[in-house]
Amino acid sequence: MYKTAEFAPERPGRLLEGTELVRELSLAFGPSGSERAVTDLIAGQLYGTAERLSRDRAGNLFALYPSAAKNAPTVMICAHTDEVGFMIDDISSDGFLRFRSLGGMDPRVLCGRHVVFMGAGGPVRGVIGAKPVHLQSADERQKATKENDMYVDIGAASAEDAGRCVAVGDSGTFVSDFVLFGEGGGLMKCKALDDRLGCAAMIETLRRLVRGRRRPKANLVFAFTSREEIGNSGAVMAANRFLPDYGIVLETTAIADLPDVPENSRVADVGRGGVISIADRGTIYDAEFTRGALALAAKKGIPAQVKRYVSGGNDSRNIQRSGTGARDLVISAATRYLHSASCVASVADYASIRELLFAILTEYDFKRKEASGAGSVR
Amino acid sequence: MYSLLKKIVCCPGVSGREGTAADVIEGVMAPVSDSVRRDAMGNLICLVGGNAPEGSRRRIMLCAHMDEIGFMVTFIEKDGRLRVATMGGINLCAAAYSRVLFPNGTEGVIVPDAGVKPADFAAEKFSVDIGAYTAEEAGARVKIGDTCALRQELRKLGAHQVAGRPLDDRIGCAVIADVARRLSLKRAADDVYFVFSVQEEVGLRGAGTAAYGIMPDLAIAVDVTGTGDVPGAVPMEVSLGKGAAVKLRDGSVICDPDLVSDLLAVAAENGIPAQREVLVRGGTDTQSIQLTGAGCTAGAVSVPSRYIHSGTETADLRDAAACSDLLFAYLTAERPGRA
Repeated sequence: MYKTAEFAPERPGRLLEGTELVRELSLAFGPSGSERAVTDLIAGQLYGTAERLSRDRAGNLFALYPSAAKNAPTVMICAHTDEVGFMIDDISSDGFLRFRSLGGMDPRVLCGRHVVFMGAGGPVRGVIGAKPVHLQSADERQKATKENDMYVDIGAASAEDAGRCVAVGDSGTFVSDFVLFGEGGGLMKCKALDDRLGCAAMIETLRRLVRGRRRPKANLVFAFTSREEIGNSGAVMAANRFLPDYGIVLETTAIADLPDVPENSRVADVGRGGVISIADRGTIYDAEFTRGALALAAKKGIPAQVKRYVSGGNDSRNIQRSGTGARDLVISAATRYLHSASCVASVADYASIRELLFAILTEYDFKRKEASGAGSVR
Repeated sequence: MYSLLKKIVCCPGVSGREGTAADVIEGVMAPVSDSVRRDAMGNLICLVGGNAPEGSRRRIMLCAHMDEIGFMVTFIEKDGRLRVATMGGINLCAAAYSRVLFPNGTEGVIVPDAGVKPADFAAEKFSVDIGAYTAEEAGARVKIGDTCALRQELRKLGAHQVAGRPLDDRIGCAVIADVARRLSLKRAADDVYFVFSVQEEVGLRGAGTAAYGIMPDLAIAVDVTGTGDVPGAVPMEVSLGKGAAVKLRDGSVICDPDLVSDLLAVAAENGIPAQREVLVRGGTDTQSIQLTGAGCTAGAVSVPSRYIHSGTETADLRDAAACSDLLFAYLTAERPGRA
């Protein structure tokens, strides 16, 4: 179908499902640009499902499930493997690390957090610190501490000491745990649910298609993309490689179904199904595809909701505009406290998203877009 | 030009929902085009073939965007009021207390919440009142995701000017449609693709996929540009009524210098009024076309316009005619361009 450097996945310790799969993926280390541990984990979890996988130079991982039909349209299903994190940009003489965030983060979620950097010799633990409150000026106390005024304390005594385990350019992320909480453990909390939840949904959906021997009507490209949080450059390469007719992005979306937020600004609600966006700051989604997905959800009784706010953006921005264009759709998990060490999403929503993706891939009437050139002659 | 312009202006087409505008423009273009198609994003692409021998014809792309700025419904309040997000560079001061229209004919007014001062205007503090008393009543007429815009209308202002909206960029659509009509009667040597692009107002998103499908040798975008002839304007050379504006740069692009000098030379040779345009802020499809594939020789011809992105965008029909004359003269010149 497409020429890429292929490899066979290696047998993992155990094939994981459901929240166990989300847990393992979310705990994996993968700040933007350092996604290898995540794609290795995904590749292993596709053992027995995908015979061949491929990687590209941008750090994307692809699993292809081609159609038996000739001239079938190509559908790219996409979730990003990277998470927000940090990169060391300076080491002070007394051994503290200055950093820049990878991806957009509210600096208020950083202070006091337990973090880990991947040094040449292995992981290095640290804590994000800042000037203590009793030394802050009256003015400083009124404002959120800026990223530039924070540092990571790795317990080093000097720059030399720190330099033995980390270097400028090393990346890090939050240390977190995966917790099920709320009634019946209906909510999950972890770092990096954005977008390992989407990756997990793709893995489980591809397994279900293959196990059920559901040969798709379209050529399916499962793209696990890199570097979304720093400007979607992984998706650019992925889309340019496959030039899909359709793009389906599985994402998380920041919501605020919280007290003190007026109803018109809550965006979506946890527990009410996958969130389908009509538009966000990066993309106006294809009207027909979006309507079709919502109709399919209604027909099958799969919970789904329309995003009630125009905010955010994702890999769709670039997939839609690749080549001669792609018709695109996003299905997101409504997620509280996105881009923090404690993202919160619903287990039921995770199931609804998988159901909806499966229904779309097996039932939606995908059509090839018109080839480039002059078009129909009148 | 006025009747063509009025027809093309008075139809809905907020970014991402350009279908109706595309249908209207296709109706104008189909009789003069050799082929018509739409791509996956909704760009309307029409070809008027050249008369040079096969293989020696270049592909030239003219592009004007058919989308307009507007609003998208994001939420319906219990009292039937619609909350909206802006699509494109909306000036809320210009939009406040205006009539808006949905493509299904639903009328409304867009208003700021009571007591909000102009300095604090934000989309979250605006709503559209469609005369409904409950969410159910509103929901029966308008759905989340539907778009609306200030009313599309056009009227004459004095002897030569027109006022209304969206002149940005339906006046460019009218200009290139006029060029297509003329080229169907007197063919150019090269194949000329007329692209009516989508989603320009939300970040020059549509023209790139159209250009990818054509891979033009040379491209000229036609859009509106600001002028320096209104009180308080940023000093700028361009004025209303002084002819076609040949773009040298804007906030998104530096135009091909050879193309610029060729266009200015053709204008001078043919006595077509033209002016040099250097726009400090704002972008055009020129950028996304220029950056397509391995790159494309690109420039732009602009229609000078006042009060852009308001309900009363104003332009001079003589300038629009000069743009058409210039493009037609350039495309039918002995040896257009050096691309």
